[in-house]
Amino acid sequence: MVGIGYRKDFGEAFLTSKVLKPAFVEVAPENWVGVGGYWRKQFNKVLERYPLFTHGLSLSIGSPDELDFEFLKKVKVFLKETNARIYSEHLSYAKCDNAHLYDLLPIPFTNDAVQHVAGRIRTIQDLLERRIAIEIVSYYTPVAPEMKEIEFINAILEAADCDLLLDVNNVYVNGFNHQYDPKAFLKELPMDRVAYIHMAGHEQVSETLIIDTHGEAIIDPVYDLYAFAMQLLHRDVPVLLERDFNFPQLEELQAEMEQLNKIKQTALQTKNYAIA
Amino acid sequence: MQSRNATQHYQSALAGYCRTGMLENIPGVVQENVPQYRRLVLNVIDDMLQNAYPLTYDLLKETEWNAIVHDFFSNHPCQSPQVWYMPREFYQYLTETAHPILTTYSFLKELLWFEWIEVELFMMEDQRVPATANGALQTDKLVLNPEHSLLTFEYPVHQKNPKKISNADKRHYFVVAHRNSNGEVIFTDVTAALMRMVEYLAEAPYTTTELFSLFETEYGLQLSETDKEAILNFLKTALQQELIAGFAK
Repeated sequence: MVGIGYRKDFGEAFLTSKVLKPAFVEVAPENWVGVGGYWRKQFNKVLERYPLFTHGLSLSIGSPDELDFEFLKKVKVFLKETNARIYSEHLSYAKCDNAHLYDLLPIPFTNDAVQHVAGRIRTIQDLLERRIAIEIVSYYTPVAPEMKEIEFINAILEAADCDLLLDVNNVYVNGFNHQYDPKAFLKELPMDRVAYIHMAGHEQVSETLIIDTHGEAIIDPVYDLYAFAMQLLHRDVPVLLERDFNFPQLEELQAEMEQLNKIKQTALQTKNYAIA
Repeated sequence: MQSRNATQHYQSALAGYCRTGMLENIPGVVQENVPQYRRLVLNVIDDMLQNAYPLTYDLLKETEWNAIVHDFFSNHPCQSPQVWYMPREFYQYLTETAHPILTTYSFLKELLWFEWIEVELFMMEDQRVPATANGALQTDKLVLNPEHSLLTFEYPVHQKNPKKISNADKRHYFVVAHRNSNGEVIFTDVTAALMRMVEYLAEAPYTTTELFSLFETEYGLQLSETDKEAILNFLKTALQQELIAGFAK
């Protein structure tokens, strides 16, 4: 199944469009907890029509600050109310020194951070009474690293025993920004933990830097990397098309989703010795 | 191995840089890319504040707007995990610190509050009340729509282009804001007496006769038939516009 992020900007299209046909929608609980009125009514109608996947923004799993248990309880209620199939969050931090920053900052790749973050993920999973998937975020600089990114991610996945949200575009962006082979990176990931895939566009802002904007169409090299990831996986995993602004016509979004589905189906029908 | 405090210290240093622009030495960072984080974080804050306060944004000079946004984000630790709620903290920060911009524009505090209330009422969680549509205005107890806010202004920030507001406009403005069942936020100018009626209903459902009586007792006066007719007309409109949710069951 291939879904798309639910956007209020064109919320009506999810109910009336004959063009847009996602298999599911995704929202951030932060944008809906405690929200009522017109948008909530429309969202409730969307929930009657599509399965819901959720992707958190502010839990700040990598933060040195205490977890926000009050908010986590609200998220738990929201997940139950909406019958959300997946709850995912970012392997990053968005709050520090008791201040929210509302964006995703890179966690230092350190042994202490591995222990700290893995413990928090276990706590969250216990409280929510469900496994969560964590997303490898795009980053523009390492911070005081003690180990390689892949070692950091794998150590956390192992210690936390959680699922992985594989954002293929982020792996591509990180490979470009930090000069590594994204296919080699994918090969080192524990593919059995992948529960969900994100795909998106990005913007190259200089010769050496790509910013993960979600504001452009997916480019061919990212489609290629996605095909490679699907061959590695060789099982059906839900895929999300992320688009947060600079929205094209619905036909273009639908075409991207169809392309993602086509690549997935091709990979599932191909024997996986092709990637050796 | 770095100590726990070292990891935390570097996280704090990066977060602090995003908020203040003051970068301390962090090992391993790509110096030319670090500013991207401050840019991205500030974009989120600025976008959210512009969306919540479009009239204020339009009123202020660009330098004034940028200065208060940076001041807020540098000095105020945002508490809400929900970014749409963060603009309320912006209002609170400016008022609690008695920010000089509120003196430059004497009506700005009220303008910010007016703009925030529209956001808050539009977004607020649905609140159900035990009310029925079946009843009579003259005899049944009236139930107020809980999705409302009572506002008193000294400037007509809800009526007039902020760029045209002057001290000559200064007087008492009583405004009732509410959200109807279509999700629309409606601002209604009322008199002081009508505002008091709405306040009574905010405490408990009352019949119109009880409302008249409460008012007469509190102010030690006798409402004329004309006064009562005006109040009834207001309540009738309030019922149509869903400021009054219905009748007590």
